[in-house]
Amino acid sequence: MQIQYKPKRNLLQTILHSEIMQGMAFTLKQLFAKPITRQYPQEKPEIKLGFRGQHALVRDQETGTSKCVACMRCVTVCPSRCIHIRFHEDEERGCRVVDSYDIEALRCVYCGFCEEVCPVNALVLTEIFEYAAYNRESIFFDQERLLANWDAFADMKGSAINGYINPFWRPRGIPERELTAAKRLDVPDEWTIEGQVVGNLVKRDQ
Amino acid sequence: MTRPISKTVNVPVADGDGERYTLKMGPQHPATHGVLRVDLELDGETIIKCSPQVGYLHRGFDKIAENRTYAQSLILTDRLDYIAAMANNVGYCVAVEKLLGISVPLRAKYIRTIVCEMSRIASHLLWLATHALDIGAMTVFLYCFREREVMLDLFEELCGARLTFSYPRIGGVRQDVTRNFIDVLQRFVAEFPTHIGEYETLIDTNRIWLKRTVGIGVLSAAEALELGLTGACLRGSGVDYDIRKHRPYDAYDLVDFEVPLGSDGDIYARYRCRMEELHQSARIIQQCIDQLPPGPIISEDAPDLVMPLQGQRKVEAGSSTYGTGLIRLLEDKGEFPVGDIYVSTEVPKGELGFYFISDGSGRPYRMHVRSPSFIHISALPALAEGSMIADLIANIGTLDVVLGECDR
Repeated sequence: MQIQYKPKRNLLQTILHSEIMQGMAFTLKQLFAKPITRQYPQEKPEIKLGFRGQHALVRDQETGTSKCVACMRCVTVCPSRCIHIRFHEDEERGCRVVDSYDIEALRCVYCGFCEEVCPVNALVLTEIFEYAAYNRESIFFDQERLLANWDAFADMKGSAINGYINPFWRPRGIPERELTAAKRLDVPDEWTIEGQVVGNLVKRDQ
Repeated sequence: MTRPISKTVNVPVADGDGERYTLKMGPQHPATHGVLRVDLELDGETIIKCSPQVGYLHRGFDKIAENRTYAQSLILTDRLDYIAAMANNVGYCVAVEKLLGISVPLRAKYIRTIVCEMSRIASHLLWLATHALDIGAMTVFLYCFREREVMLDLFEELCGARLTFSYPRIGGVRQDVTRNFIDVLQRFVAEFPTHIGEYETLIDTNRIWLKRTVGIGVLSAAEALELGLTGACLRGSGVDYDIRKHRPYDAYDLVDFEVPLGSDGDIYARYRCRMEELHQSARIIQQCIDQLPPGPIISEDAPDLVMPLQGQRKVEAGSSTYGTGLIRLLEDKGEFPVGDIYVSTEVPKGELGFYFISDGSGRPYRMHVRSPSFIHISALPALAEGSMIADLIANIGTLDVVLGECDR
């Protein structure tokens, strides 16, 4: 397809600066339009569900501590290798016990792979994004700090935290049989394969 | 004694009487779109010699990828062309899928086409905004960013990030689209041609814009091909080459769109090409929304995100720990194929190619990125030599380079 140019201006248009006047008229019109600028520090942006922000370990309501089972999947998948877990085996109960769980948030690239592979939804990237600090130590998250991050997030969400499901815990459009028991959460209809959005021209054959 | 130094610009040049001087423009220069340094040899205001110096943003992606699995390397492609990270992600996934012989479900193909074109709109809007700002039309900048914000908000809703998406997955995509996403996008696409008209009102026939762009930075079709240019830079010179059309990937062969071609090969022709591409992108998105089929969003035989080979071994050993999370495996392939492959896709800047040498280990033995910006910046001397220093800014802008992709 050959591109089209606008016709050349004639003498009258040249003298009257018509194209510049048109531009000025458009800008003048915008003067009376509703402003779209957001005055950021006073006016917070609306953060969408599933935003990949500050890390947190979900505080389990029953035990009061993290849900992590030290399966090391997040450590394996992390592309920037910023998660470090130390654990020992509890012979009596036959399970692993987490000794330390550290995230070097300054190395993190916020890809969200860790929360996606976590089989028990222990880890989450919250919607908190303002946590700049003056030293590196305050952005090195150990287990207590990560749990505190979750509490801060829960405070921010208020009562909505009870039904909170991160889209990376239970990815939209993934069949339930692909997920572990803990990830088979009760989600809105449009997150399932049956309720997915289809085009106007497509008839769902059933 | 004077002599003309260029066919296009007939500027008299004084001969060797000590008037020549060198100027290092950048790397901290607002009009170089990142950390580009251009070493200029000047005679008055005329550029005698121009050599772009790159490498200030080198991070060694080719090497880092050798120590990461294919799935992990995806995050590196976010940081190539950070203006259109989604297109890079898709390009990378298309390449790896071809290497592994994975076929992508139709729904995932359509979703990828949508996000690629959204990415093209976001990238072209940023290009138009900064290009116009460099040349002196500041107003356009603000209106372009207004629409770009809508795109970024949609990306945030889709995948939780505004810049480094990591959204596609080898064998599909990570998250399905939501009703709200489709509705907002539908509204945007419907009104976007009006917004393109607004930008055109401001600069399309503006005499200052025309003076700065028409007849500047002219490249003939043969020259553009010789320099290895791709994308709108090549199409502005009238060469019909678009990978979306000629070697279709994803759903591009299922939608109807045109490839805009210029003939003059100057900055204005390239500008018109990109503006027309915005229209075409909106058209593609509209068709994809209408045709979006139901079905799975990720292929059954996509490799496991965590341990592509270990998952296979565990199943063979009869272990029951397999089957947690989003694990899948290559059904009948115990290992990754051995060999090399080059796959290219059309990103907003041009042709982005990934070259892999695979030794069957689950990590690339060698990954090379053929990035359009690197090729384009090497065409800068051909455009700039013999022209005025003020036109260098316009020439850098028209090549649409992103230094993250250039230096990798």
